[in-house]
Amino acid sequence: MAAIDYIIVAVFMGLLFYAGTVFYRWIGNPDDYYVAGRQLTPFILAATLTATNVNLYSFVGQAGVAYEHGIAIVWQTWTGNMAMVFSGLFVIPILRRLKIRTIPEFLETRYKPAVRYLVGFLWVFRLSFWLGVVLYTAVVAAQTLTGLDSFTAWVLIFSVITILYTMLGGMWSVALTDSLQFIFMLAGALIVLPLAMSAVGWFPGLVERLPETHLQLVHQHGTYNWQFVLAIWILGLEWGCVDQGLLQRAFGAQSTKTVAKGLVLAGIINTPFALLWNLPGLAATSLFPNLPNADAAVPMVLAHYLPHAVLGLVFCGLLAAQMSTISSNLNAVATMFTNDLYTRIFNKNASDKDVIKVARTITILIGVFMMGFTYVVPKLGGAVDAYLTVIGIMDMPLFIVAIVYGLLWKRTTWQAAIFGYLAGALAGAFAKFGMGYDFNTATFFSAGTSLIVTPLVTWMTRPDFHDRIDLIWRMRQAQDDEITSKQAYHIIPISFGGRLFLSTLFIGLLIFLTGIFLGSIGHELASLLSVIGMIVYFASGLLRLKFE
Amino acid sequence: MTIDWITWSIWLIGFIILVIWIIVPVREFKELIKAKKKKDEQEEKNE
Repeated sequence: MAAIDYIIVAVFMGLLFYAGTVFYRWIGNPDDYYVAGRQLTPFILAATLTATNVNLYSFVGQAGVAYEHGIAIVWQTWTGNMAMVFSGLFVIPILRRLKIRTIPEFLETRYKPAVRYLVGFLWVFRLSFWLGVVLYTAVVAAQTLTGLDSFTAWVLIFSVITILYTMLGGMWSVALTDSLQFIFMLAGALIVLPLAMSAVGWFPGLVERLPETHLQLVHQHGTYNWQFVLAIWILGLEWGCVDQGLLQRAFGAQSTKTVAKGLVLAGIINTPFALLWNLPGLAATSLFPNLPNADAAVPMVLAHYLPHAVLGLVFCGLLAAQMSTISSNLNAVATMFTNDLYTRIFNKNASDKDVIKVARTITILIGVFMMGFTYVVPKLGGAVDAYLTVIGIMDMPLFIVAIVYGLLWKRTTWQAAIFGYLAGALAGAFAKFGMGYDFNTATFFSAGTSLIVTPLVTWMTRPDFHDRIDLIWRMRQAQDDEITSKQAYHIIPISFGGRLFLSTLFIGLLIFLTGIFLGSIGHELASLLSVIGMIVYFASGLLRLKFE
Repeated sequence: MTIDWITWSIWLIGFIILVIWIIVPVREFKELIKAKKKKDEQEEKNE
């Protein structure tokens, strides 16, 4: 990078810091800090969700997989988007109506405080671990792209400003900077795509140069085959329903209707967006074949084809992608700690000021921990693999006990939730570390065990029906305040159009799954059907909201 | 010269999203700031 690029990056960082700190004075109570006073509008919500979900793993890691294995990796983003639409229409509206801030808080409402403390405690560590991996990948990519080798300098560049503005302005700062960062990210991707594609002779040239399987969306064999799509779709559902980073943004929405709109919008927008970083990865396959590290594919395209100043702008986009993910997750950890542990165990009579002070302190502490952890990651070897394993082991059982049984079966007891969660996590850990399976199989083990153990323990324990369960069940219906303010959202629509498009949404899902299963026998229509199914699913989600 | 419709269609969708994303959130943030100022002024008066 040249001097002009560094100036652009410095101005961008200054702008972010300024924008982030503007909201310092807006923080009057914990809700302002955690969920932006529940004032976020649909587009701001969709922008902040998209910016959080797209990080350097997308631009560097996912594009690197596209370089090595082909376009099938795009399903990681697409199935995640399908999950966002699903959770936005069916799950998160219920949670939003409960006015909770975290999933552990929901677990207390649904089961008992013990479940909340257990999951809250484990998840503070789980999110901190994720932050360390995110920062590490950012630092490595920045080193490749700029040629500046100082690990510590990059750790500080990525962390200090992000920690400061998140600490000062909480979710308000996160929302504003995410919206700005989304613009930079998208602008950067829009610059890179035509440059990379023209270098390979546009799409026809790309088709000619690549092996046929590289452009196949659903494979019968290989690492990223039909089973991968199925596993990542299931993991996506879990992510869309219980990921604290995502939920916290959704809880910041102005109303239940805004939640549904914001999530459906974010899911649909993110879908074509995913091609903007995967196509350059594919182009790099023919431009820079046989790279020793596939993750260097897109940085190589950037370094070779972008003129100075533009490179600085695109680099800002990459910085933005990472900083938005870090800030959102820092805020999520601070929220979980103060909401589920500090005010419940350590200081039950904490004032609003105390809570905000502790949330800010925790933001800094977790930020320092994140910086320290980046130095450990290289020593651990496959950090990304380790992260995927953690998701499979810790997140899937939570999804089963909180969402599947928590929202669908009243009889589920708190003992069953604890045993189901722990048994699932242990089974997943045993499959991975004891039996040496990959993360896909470990995920199936943890999910399957939770699915079986939870009802078994439920039948062995006394039912603990309480008013709070009835309250959760009532939240499936549009509430009086929604109807009064003409913002009613019905999970099962009341209009004919709404019901029609809800039906076509499930038809789309069925077509998608048929396509994936046809991939198992290598059917030539597998890719086409799965994409058609996904498009029908998205279009139906949007139209279902239109006909509320 | 032939146009690569696939690449440019993807690019155009991205560009439209970018334009919408500059206009709409700016408007929404402006409204939020206006509402916040109004609320603060109201609170000051009440005090």
